[in-house]
Amino acid sequence: MSTDLEQRFPSARIIGRGVTVAPALKSGIGITFLLALFGTGARLVIPILIQQSIDHGLQPGHVNVSYISRLCTIGAICVVISSLCLREATKRLGNRAENGLFSLRTQLFDHIHRLSLEDHNNEKRGALVSRVTSDIETLTQFFSWGGLGLLLDGSQMIAVAAVMLAYDWRLALVAFVTSAPLIFVLRFVQSRLVNAHNLSRERNADFLGSVSELMAGAETLRAYSAEQTMINSVAVSMRNRRKSNVRAGVIGAFLFPSGEVFAVFTVMAVVGTGLLIGPAGGLTSGALVGFVFLTYRFLEPIAEFTEIIDQVQSAVAGLRRVLGVLDTPIGPPQSSNPRPLPLGKLSVDIQEVSFAYGARLGEDDDDTPVLHDISLHIAAGQHIALVGPSGSGKTTIARLIARLTDPTIGRVQIGGVALTEVSNESLRRRLIVVPQEPFLFANTISYNLQFAEPLASTIDMKAAFEELGLADWLEGMPLGLETHVGQRGSSLSAGERQLVALVRASMVKPDVLVLDEATSSVDALTEVRISRALERLALGRTTISIAHRLSTASRADRVVMLENGRIVEDGSHTELLNAGGKYAALYEAWLNSTRGESHE
Amino acid sequence: MEQSRLRLAITLLRQLLKFHPKPFLVAVTGASLYAICTVASSFGLGYVVDQVIIPRYESNKIDHHTFLIASMIVISIGLLRAVGVVVRRSYAGISHWSTSESLSTQLIRHIMKQPTMWHQRHMTGDLVARIGVDSDTAASVLGPLPFSTSVVLLVVLTSIWLVVIDVPLGLLAVTVIPLLFALNIGYQRRIDRHFDSAQKALGDLSEAVHESFDGVMVVKAFGAENREHVRLATISSKLKDARIRAVNARAVFEALVDGTPSLVNVSLITYGAFRVRSGSLTIGELSSFIYLFTLLVFPLRIIGYLLSEIPHSSSGFKRVREILDEHLELQPLIETLPRTSGIAVEVNSASFSYDEQSDLIFKDVNFAIPVGSTVAVVGETGSGKSTLLKMIAGLVSARTGSVKVGEGETAMVFQEPFLFSGSLQFNLTLGKTISIPVIARALWASVSEEFVSELEHGIDTIVGERGISLSGGQRQRIALARAIASGRQTLLLDDTTSALDPATESLVIDRLASLSDTTTVVIVASRPTTIKIADHVLFIHDGFVHELSTHDELMRTSPAYSNLMLSFDIDRKAS
Repeated sequence: MSTDLEQRFPSARIIGRGVTVAPALKSGIGITFLLALFGTGARLVIPILIQQSIDHGLQPGHVNVSYISRLCTIGAICVVISSLCLREATKRLGNRAENGLFSLRTQLFDHIHRLSLEDHNNEKRGALVSRVTSDIETLTQFFSWGGLGLLLDGSQMIAVAAVMLAYDWRLALVAFVTSAPLIFVLRFVQSRLVNAHNLSRERNADFLGSVSELMAGAETLRAYSAEQTMINSVAVSMRNRRKSNVRAGVIGAFLFPSGEVFAVFTVMAVVGTGLLIGPAGGLTSGALVGFVFLTYRFLEPIAEFTEIIDQVQSAVAGLRRVLGVLDTPIGPPQSSNPRPLPLGKLSVDIQEVSFAYGARLGEDDDDTPVLHDISLHIAAGQHIALVGPSGSGKTTIARLIARLTDPTIGRVQIGGVALTEVSNESLRRRLIVVPQEPFLFANTISYNLQFAEPLASTIDMKAAFEELGLADWLEGMPLGLETHVGQRGSSLSAGERQLVALVRASMVKPDVLVLDEATSSVDALTEVRISRALERLALGRTTISIAHRLSTASRADRVVMLENGRIVEDGSHTELLNAGGKYAALYEAWLNSTRGESHE
Repeated sequence: MEQSRLRLAITLLRQLLKFHPKPFLVAVTGASLYAICTVASSFGLGYVVDQVIIPRYESNKIDHHTFLIASMIVISIGLLRAVGVVVRRSYAGISHWSTSESLSTQLIRHIMKQPTMWHQRHMTGDLVARIGVDSDTAASVLGPLPFSTSVVLLVVLTSIWLVVIDVPLGLLAVTVIPLLFALNIGYQRRIDRHFDSAQKALGDLSEAVHESFDGVMVVKAFGAENREHVRLATISSKLKDARIRAVNARAVFEALVDGTPSLVNVSLITYGAFRVRSGSLTIGELSSFIYLFTLLVFPLRIIGYLLSEIPHSSSGFKRVREILDEHLELQPLIETLPRTSGIAVEVNSASFSYDEQSDLIFKDVNFAIPVGSTVAVVGETGSGKSTLLKMIAGLVSARTGSVKVGEGETAMVFQEPFLFSGSLQFNLTLGKTISIPVIARALWASVSEEFVSELEHGIDTIVGERGISLSGGQRQRIALARAIASGRQTLLLDDTTSALDPATESLVIDRLASLSDTTTVVIVASRPTTIKIADHVLFIHDGFVHELSTHDELMRTSPAYSNLMLSFDIDRKAS
């Protein structure tokens, strides 16, 4: 993906797009630059003072002290003013950069939360987190070091060049021509340096990858006494990392003093030319000495420039990845002119729906259809169970009903209104999904419930537990509603997480419930609690259960059996059993697998 | 505070330099060359002004000879100075990276010698950070350090040189050194505070972002996108505020550090004019004086930055040491039974607890498993089934009693087995030489041969990080095949078949039993069908492990066992 983006957007365009997305980055940049130009003035005062002193007050044998004192007073004032300008420029750049990055970051949060679930799978999640954290950090790094350096060093070079031209255009020309080849040297070495840095970043990632595999797999390796092979391969990746970093360091080491090397040659060329021009050509000795100082100042920023190049590269790469995320289209698009949902119970209609993952993005590698021309009417208040082998399309149907994704062909209606016409806010007040592995935030139980219903009081929350028959469970919690559930709810068992998720769903008092049943085994008592809570939660609500346990299916009003993305059987549990078709066979197999000898 | 920083630096250096002192010394030599040439270059400039430029205006003649000498002096000093920089930077890099590598290697060696119990107490991510990041941070002080030594040398040489050129002027110039130093240190202290709060805000932010994206399904299900946006924006605005405070402090510092030496320089020119008038100083000497002074300023500006690296590196080194200083824990002791005994696993009056303080998970365990049998370990969730298996596998040690294992060793397969990101072939062999028929048989026994042969690259398929390209059931079967291929005689399966459908699970167990007469299988099971197939049952209940028995026997004699079987069945009854 990154190489693809790289081809589409060269660096300049990336930067251009970056400032369009976060306009704070470029706002008032002209004034900032002007201030920086004045700010580097302090560095010019000394060469000018030396020239003036030598020419007008410091002739051998005749020193005009009062002239020099006046001159130096003016110089001191200039230094103070330019320092103030420098402070202002640094402040402006930093503040605007931070504001710009803040806006970029918050835009990313918003966008990422609205991406479709396909863009949120486990593989991509880590990448999304690092877009918001480490990629934006490379930009912060850039603005606080490299960006500031570019601004100040750039203005120093420009200001010095201007003063040089004002003093003597002939000497300035000599200085520019002599130092010009430096550009070629820099360009030649820089591309190597950038490659070397890229390589060492890659090697570093390889190394971290292999170490993390070694640590995560330590138990397995120990179990087979196979540690040495992996340790050796980590050692190789570590050696490669060292080599690539040292190489980048050596290239940088040669590049760093190149400005100084050119400075000595340039200074002597300037002095030589100055001697030839001499007083006859209108050049004073002070101007010549001042010029020598200016030449050093002119080439001084080169060393820092060579350090900044790498930062520019990383920053552009980071920005490119950030923009890549912002370019990813968001999940189901919002209706521009939403229609309200009717009051009361809601029916669900699936009309001639086909679905293929990836089809929306136009990717042609992964578009095998998951659903083929499905039509299903679920009456208001009906409890239906979707059953079928894994990969049959149950979860996809649930996602379509919840509008976590849109069908490729066909449409889904709820209460007679097409989902595409319902606003996200009102849909989420009326329809709730309880996923297979419910996610709890690392906070208290009440935080997790208020996540669903921010205005819920303690009494409301306790009542919700009561309603689902879970009051006794809540009482058993050490701190009741204020019990901390741990990261992802880890201090609760899988079954208890289910319980909290069910109560959370009930907080919203939804009219449509989509339940993806958990497959993980839970202890007997919790199992009973879950079944009871589910039953109470589903009572009087239009409920779509994805049933993994066929006991759940047997309790539903209606069972819909799916196979390979098609509805193969549809009817009540008893009807389907009596029909002796695929569902009956599935049920028989399930009974067998769960039967102990005791029942034979 | 600076005192303690210095002491910190000395301790840190003594420990770091032990590894690779040579490149560091070369870097310091390069840095010294740089410092000496810097001072010398001001002498060159003075020579150019006094011997070349001024005479040209006084005598109105160009002296080619002195110009040539001046050029040679200036250019060769400049080149030598560059050589110093190249040597210093190159070798500082070598010193940094070699030391970092040595620290990482030490850490890896130490960590890999620790037993599984130790690994279970430590988070993988934390260990990776210590090996990969902290060791690097610890060594990173070696990068800029040679430069710091050259700064010290430069300051000393320059101070002397400045005083030698002209005593009163020199003394005036030297005042800038403590001034800039104090400025630097004051700034570092202030900025450290802001950086710390920014760092903390960043940590909070990435934690919140991680969680929020992790729970995106919930966020979407409850339409909480806007609320989450506000929450994250609030945290990131704290980060922004801390960063802005830092940048504002820095703006003042940059201005002061730029302005102060310039002001001192202006006063040097004023005072220098008096010295030139009194004849104590030539114009060339004054120029070289001013030039040297400007050269001195740059390193003084960044000395504070160099010092700020020390606490950073030191905390990295501390985190490295923490691991290295943990003594090596003993590997669990597993005795070997002779082949003639006919026993695969024998446990005598064993007890187990996770550490000395906590309660025993089980106690007084006694059983002997005959070679070639299949044993189901049965018990409620959390009863210690996995722990018992790990104890037999020698991954955790029994608190008391003994564990003996028959010749041919054990292989344990976990419920969520770990696959390496390489090929299936690597995952099956773990880098050992195993013949193709053995691998094929292992794939057959684990009922994997079919799906493996359907993969485009077969056994050479790269499975991706943690085997991501395979399904849960496939990963379990590959791990099982790995155990079989290893030729270990006792297979310990910790719910290894949980992701398989019942039919495949039964097939796997049948094939395992038919592998050979000498293969013993101990399996943690919760499906009645699986338990039924086993020759024997080990029932764990209430911290007590019943003696080896059979399913029928336990159903008759143990109410707890029959209750458990009923609860496995509860779902069926509910229907």
